[in-house]
Amino acid sequence: MIKTTIIIFVLFFLAFCGFVVYDLTTAKRRKEVYRVKSSATAYLLLLPSVVLAFLFIMLPILYSLGYAFTDYYLLDPDNIKFILFDNFKELFEEISEKGMLYNAIKNTATFVIGVVPLQIILALLLDLFVNRPGFGSKIFKVCFFAPVVISLSVTAFLWQQILAPGEGGLLNSMLSVFGVPPHDWLRDPNTAMPCIIVLSAWQGCGYQMLIFLSGLSNIRKDLYEASSLDGANWWNKFWLVTWPGLRSTFVYILITVFIGACRIMTQPMLMTGYQEHTVTLSYYMYQVGYKDYWVGTSTAVALLMTIFIGGITLIQRRAFREK
Amino acid sequence: MDNNIKNMPNFRPNKAPARKTVREIIYHVVGIVISLAFILPILYMLATSTKSEAIYAEGVGTIKMFLPDFANIGVAFDNYKNVLIDYDIWKYALNSFIYAAVVIVLNILINGLAGYAMAKLTFPGKKLLSFLIIFLIVVPVETSIIPLYSIVKVMLGLKKQMSVIGVILPAAISIFNIFLFMQFFQNIPKEYEEAARMDGANTLGVFFKVIMPLSKPILATVAVFCFIGVWNDYLWPSMILPAANDGSWPLTPIQTALIAITSTPNITTGQVMASLVITSIPIFVIYVAAQKYIVQGFGTSGLKM
Repeated sequence: MIKTTIIIFVLFFLAFCGFVVYDLTTAKRRKEVYRVKSSATAYLLLLPSVVLAFLFIMLPILYSLGYAFTDYYLLDPDNIKFILFDNFKELFEEISEKGMLYNAIKNTATFVIGVVPLQIILALLLDLFVNRPGFGSKIFKVCFFAPVVISLSVTAFLWQQILAPGEGGLLNSMLSVFGVPPHDWLRDPNTAMPCIIVLSAWQGCGYQMLIFLSGLSNIRKDLYEASSLDGANWWNKFWLVTWPGLRSTFVYILITVFIGACRIMTQPMLMTGYQEHTVTLSYYMYQVGYKDYWVGTSTAVALLMTIFIGGITLIQRRAFREK
Repeated sequence: MDNNIKNMPNFRPNKAPARKTVREIIYHVVGIVISLAFILPILYMLATSTKSEAIYAEGVGTIKMFLPDFANIGVAFDNYKNVLIDYDIWKYALNSFIYAAVVIVLNILINGLAGYAMAKLTFPGKKLLSFLIIFLIVVPVETSIIPLYSIVKVMLGLKKQMSVIGVILPAAISIFNIFLFMQFFQNIPKEYEEAARMDGANTLGVFFKVIMPLSKPILATVAVFCFIGVWNDYLWPSMILPAANDGSWPLTPIQTALIAITSTPNITTGQVMASLVITSIPIFVIYVAAQKYIVQGFGTSGLKM
């Protein structure tokens, strides 16, 4: 592995040198002046970040591309063989046999389909709700934002208590007032994922609300006044003034929430453990690669996931592009 | 003007203000109900952290769940003292603070210098680097955590002391922060630098004496986001750091330690909640104190998509 790393580094260095030579030879034509001293300082200043970025950002990406086609076993790093598409074949077999990976895909899809609309619509509604002058709306804003401040692991433990089975759980004890029998929310395959969706939206939507608010503040106030003069009602104003003004914010939020949702892992990991009904793609990757040491299989999943997320992101951008 | 309004057919004196008050009341009632949905779990956490197991069990299913137990304030004190001292939370919190401080300093130095070189200096190969920066921001990197782990494992050999470096160094580089610095430095007028250079300052002197003092807002934004990131990071430290069972000073940060603490046998619900509250306090303080910079941070990140 160290040998490969050095080879990759030398290749990168040569490519960079090529660019440098190209820049130097075309400098005259582009009327650009390079001074030796200033260039040397620039290289020195860039050196630490380039080394770190190479090691911890570029290399992992390249290796995850490469490992996906090998049988890399973490405890046996000196014996890596290229097995071409065998990893992917294995993965597709696992999907068709409805194994763990099938569940992971199913649960991740459920989560994404549930949480993306829920969180964004909630954030949009909350933001329209608090976007008015007055003391009350300020207090409400703070309340809606409060869950964002809590870290993921704290949220997971807190909600584990809330959703605890038996009479002692907060939710069960509240529902028992209405005569609903206690329910084991996180172990029932039908309610576990919905619970995780709700708590994720509960925690996340305050953050998106603030981003929407900063988008709202960029909309010119005179547009509302003008539309009022034209007799527009609340819905007209929203559809003709607010929505077009929020469009770019919306696309940004859609993409970030979507990518975040695809990566979900901490909540199921801490709240239920590695279970068929809550395992997600990232969790599967972690389990296979880190706990079971099959880095090859794990990076193959990562590669498919990266391609999928990248593709959907491109489609979303295209679909919501400014017209 | 007044006459005009009174002559209009729809004018009804007194009716409009009344309707407005009703609307205000409805607005606030609805707001309170929604707010409760958001803060009840947090109130539950705060309230439970003050209770002994018996009082907690007594309050289950009633409104008392959300109210702190003021009658036995000593219990609250005991809960917090227990988790802080007996369960060593203060050590883990201190670890987190140290990690955060080192990461903030390294992050600002490394990425700030790179941003400065990219923004203010000309050198051959600059175009390639700016292309790489944009490219790496767009590519989703998070899926490469397993390869990152295997690289760090091979590089550092995962000795106990070395693993600390494995926690800090990957957090010290952030392409996005280089980008933020670059954007910010580009808008600083050239005259400042030229004046300093006339006085005989070299590039590093210009960076530390002229650029840095002018860049306080962006420094604060980066520092705040670094702190939140390090404090809340749970997965990476739990992978890279060994568990300390031999009684020596632990290396784990607070989020990772929470798992071990909350799953200790015999720990009471009150103590679990107290540890959760303690973990949340620094982030809460940061959000309140640095609100301006946080909004600024995602303002800039939102614009550049």
